[in-house]
Parts: sequence; C-alpha cells; structure tokens
Amino acid sequence: MNVTQETHGSATLFIVEGQVDMHTSPELRGHLRTALGNQASPLVVDLTDVAFIDSSGLATLIEALQAVGKYGGKLRLCGLSPEVRKLFDLAQLSTIFDLRDTRAEAVAD
Amino acid sequence: MMPAALDRVRCSVPSHPKYLPLVRSVVQEGANLSGFDADLTQRILLAVTEAVTNVIRHAYDGRDDQRIDLDVIAGEHELQLDLVDYGQFVDPKHIESRPLDEVRPGGIGVHLIKSTMDRVEYVKNEHGGTTLTMVKHGAAEAAAEKETT
Repeated sequence: MNVTQETHGSATLFIVEGQVDMHTSPELRGHLRTALGNQASPLVVDLTDVAFIDSSGLATLIEALQAVGKYGGKLRLCGLSPEVRKLFDLAQLSTIFDLRDTRAEAVAD
Repeated sequence: MMPAALDRVRCSVPSHPKYLPLVRSVVQEGANLSGFDADLTQRILLAVTEAVTNVIRHAYDGRDDQRIDLDVIAGEHELQLDLVDYGQFVDPKHIESRPLDEVRPGGIGVHLIKSTMDRVEYVKNEHGGTTLTMVKHGAAEAAAEKETT
C-alpha cells in the first residue's frame, strides 16, 4: 500500500494505492491521525487505486469519521471501485460516509 | 462434487499480517480453478482475509510467529478452504459480529465471512486450536442445493 498526501485548497487529500488490510491499515491510520490532530477539514480519501480493502481498512475509516465529527470536520471518500463499493454496501456503510464519484468533486469546497 | 485428495493444496504461513496478500494469491488461484467470476472471487478473498485476521487476533493474541495452515480444495464450481491454527480455541460466539447498524470500528469480520461463504464451520482440532472450514458453491451448485432442501 502507498499513501500520498496532497493539499487542494482547504482539503487534505490522501491518495491510497494497493491493498488495505490488517498489515497496511496501521500506516493509513497513522497518516489520518496526523491530519486529524491538526483538525484538518475536509479530509478526502481517494480509493480509486485500492484493489482490496477488508474490515481493518473499514475500521480505520470509521475511526477517522468519528474523530473528524468530534471537531465538526468533514470526511469524504471518492473513487470507490464497484468491488469496494459492494463491501461498503455489505457493511451498511454507504449511507454513513460521504461518498463522491471523483476526486475533483471530493476536494471541492 | 468435491475433488480427490490430490487436489488439496496446503499453504503454511507464519501468523504475520504481511502474509495476507500471499494467502489471497493462493486462494485467488483456487477460485480461478473452480471457475468463480471476478465478483465472487473478490468476496472469497475478503472472507479468507477476515478469517486469517481473526486467527492472528484471537487464536494467537497478535503473535506473529505462529503457524497457520490453509488447505485450498478447488473442485469443479466449488471451493473449500480449511484454515487450521494451533493457538487457543476461540468459541466463534465470542467473536460474533456487532449489529451492522451500530457504526463503530471492528466487529464485522465474522459477518463478512458468513455472508459470503455457503458453509462455515468452526471445530476444535486435535492441536487444541481451531479448524475453520469454509465452502463456496458455484451458482449452479447453489441452485441445485436449494432445490433439494
């Protein structure tokens, strides 16, 4: 897994590539915690190039969603592949997260 | 029909999460042999990942130097996965899923396994650990089984 961080206006963007599982999710959590510590908003996680995500990855995103809510910030996810979207549906998370189709839409104010 | 014993392929890995992609690679090849499409294969990969993750977390308490065996039995339109650990037997009731409408991190691994696989059985094995058997039928076999039940 690889995580790249960029700033787009007020948005802090994390571009995640590869597979997110028990082995790699702590690294993603570390990136997100740094931004959460700075109370960044909106946080955007681009999952376009995520080929696989398991419940450890989902847990990391849920933690971030709960943390960002504590300071009134926003978390947006974008670029979910059909496979990843199915997992969100299966876990009944599609209505919990702010899901956007494209990165441009997600980083817009 | 399940294949002969010769069609059983064993993959033994240490209980370190870095081996999860390797486990998925082996299972993906098994799913390909059994003729599963990309969608079902992805679901099976998720199920086996959740199962191995549970072994590391619960049977081995996070220790990453223990042994995990995975037998992949690729039949025609049917895939069986036998996951064997040598840790403490964990009653599956103790790792049951949280209700999905309770949004909080964790607690959905077992749900993801059971919602994907057609048969899921936890048995205490002769080593004191757990053997988890997971079976996925192809679409035709699942329909036939439904007709007979």
